[in-house]
Amino acid sequence: MIKELCGGNEVIWNRWYKNAERTPDRDAIIHWVGGEAPLRLTFSAIIVAAEGLAATLVERDIGKGDVCAIIMRHNRVLYPLYLAMVCVGAIPAILAYPNPRLHPDKFRQGIEGMSLRSGLDWVFTERDLDETIRPSVEKQDSTIKGVHFPLEWKKGNGLNGEKLNNVVNVHRRMSSSDPLLLQHSSGTTGLQKAVLLSHRAVLNHVKNYGKAIELTENDKVVSWLPLYHDMGLIAAFHLPLAFGIPSVQIDPFEWVVVPSLLLEAVSRERGTISWLPNFAYNMMADKITDNELDGVNLESWRLVINCSEPVRHESHEKFLRRFQGYGLNPLAISSCYAMAETTFAATQAPPETPPATLALDRIELAKGKIKIAQDAAQARICVSSGKTIADCQVRIVDENRRDVVEGAIGEIAIKSMSMFEGYRNYPEKTVEALSDGWYYSGDYGFTKGGEHYVVGRKKDIIIVAGNNVYPEDVEDVVGKVEGIIPGRVVAFGEEDRELGSEQIAVIAESGISNKQRQRKLKLEVIKAGMSIDVSITKVYLVPPRWLIKSSAGKPSRRANKERILSTGEATATGWNIHDYAGTEAGYTKSSQIG
Amino acid sequence: MITQELKQVILKVLRLDDWDIKDETLAAHVPGWDSLNHVNVILAIEKHFCVRFKPIEILKLKNIGDLQRLVSSKLEKAG
Repeated sequence: MIKELCGGNEVIWNRWYKNAERTPDRDAIIHWVGGEAPLRLTFSAIIVAAEGLAATLVERDIGKGDVCAIIMRHNRVLYPLYLAMVCVGAIPAILAYPNPRLHPDKFRQGIEGMSLRSGLDWVFTERDLDETIRPSVEKQDSTIKGVHFPLEWKKGNGLNGEKLNNVVNVHRRMSSSDPLLLQHSSGTTGLQKAVLLSHRAVLNHVKNYGKAIELTENDKVVSWLPLYHDMGLIAAFHLPLAFGIPSVQIDPFEWVVVPSLLLEAVSRERGTISWLPNFAYNMMADKITDNELDGVNLESWRLVINCSEPVRHESHEKFLRRFQGYGLNPLAISSCYAMAETTFAATQAPPETPPATLALDRIELAKGKIKIAQDAAQARICVSSGKTIADCQVRIVDENRRDVVEGAIGEIAIKSMSMFEGYRNYPEKTVEALSDGWYYSGDYGFTKGGEHYVVGRKKDIIIVAGNNVYPEDVEDVVGKVEGIIPGRVVAFGEEDRELGSEQIAVIAESGISNKQRQRKLKLEVIKAGMSIDVSITKVYLVPPRWLIKSSAGKPSRRANKERILSTGEATATGWNIHDYAGTEAGYTKSSQIG
Repeated sequence: MITQELKQVILKVLRLDDWDIKDETLAAHVPGWDSLNHVNVILAIEKHFCVRFKPIEILKLKNIGDLQRLVSSKLEKAG
């Protein structure tokens, strides 16, 4: 480890270095691969590997302030590469690795949208994606200077001589207010908002959130979360690295295929903390077989924190019922409310305490009112996302951004020491969301007895299994399907209780009334969704001029969702992917992508 | 070559009447067979053929042809 790189300033590299000095042989990252021995990187080994990769970055003229997109699966190089970028003062931005169903054009559109907002300088990826990414780089107005394949890099001579001097100079000038990383909101057609976070924001968050979850030296994080998501990147990667505790990392592509991998890793590594989106509680409770649980012991798990989707009480109960017999402590179930704009968490349920719940009248709640349910059949159990963490404030405000009385529903506004400073190169979105140091989240909720409850969203964003999907993206692609009237489409989220998440439904106007042709058309709509890696599970075809318009003259998502779900028209016109029956020529052939 | 039996199990889980499934077909290219549904397909195949897959076997599958070969080898071993 190179001592000259560690100065007195409060930047994240110094924290990592000090952790490596203090506990050089302790595991920092345990890269978990199903059926194989895990790859262990100690705190000193990851620093040494990062320094080596930093030398290659310097050789390739990658340096301070360069925005570096990482589009890679979880692998042995990913973690030290991220650290190496920080080492040379570059700004890492981990992006989602494309699913094979995502059409290359749509993937490129996403990259180009990000490039527009973030000013991407370099892309680090795997050889398989070269052909897909290259056209975005070669475009005339592209900000991307080049593509690199770090998995193919040969071990160099390390960071020394001129290269070392170069990096030492960068470190001398580094300050805690310098940008550390970029996170992107999801979206596939350029709607992404880039959140730039400083060293100070992340380090403050580690301190304050660490306190909220009573993090100790004995903790060990276990995660399958993608690192392009704030929950994966901040909670499961930055937090343990900065605090000096191990983090077991499972590739999300592997976890979703074999969900028991998480429990196996917790059991074998004696993991103590995990964060999960709500659907994961259902998926693990419903899909993991007894055989897969042979020998699994979950006693070490002290916190299983539900975050990034609305927290559902039924999911917690189901999870507990399934795994209590395997040592899961009921008091481990926890919750938090978090977003990239505040680095991560704003609220957290206290450890060793079940999240507070309130049984509210479902009908009154739909009207925006809080009333304790008199009839259990009409109750919606709302789960608290906990109390405000240190150096963070939460208000509930009305449409004029004035505080509402306690217990009333309003928009959740947050002010935090770990706040972002605005969306990068997106002033109009920054002005909408950020005012007088308060971030207006677009989420609806209420506060009762210091506990914060999140109950809905002002924005139409759909959250499917923890991933944000913009209805605009879906409407755009469906509106281009031949037979659908352009601009006459709405997409919205429909609750799927079995999955414990939302699924995507679409209402589209079409002049086609022949049943057989409608079936073909519906499948084309599904395929259009697949091309942007979105699973549309319900398609409602409606006749022209069926959709209700908003005052702005555009089809209203909310009004049309209510109409289709409440009037019984869903039954008359609706179509579920599971009801498809058809083998018409022309769409029976699946095409290979990428 | 994908057998009719395997194909029917897959189609039933995805509630498709038919779809052109070949050795090289990727799950991601079949409507409804997304990452969240993958585990449902695997569980249905295990149940139908009375076989049990190891996590590593599932993780190594690249396409539906691989899945067919895995099922066939399990059935062969079971005799």
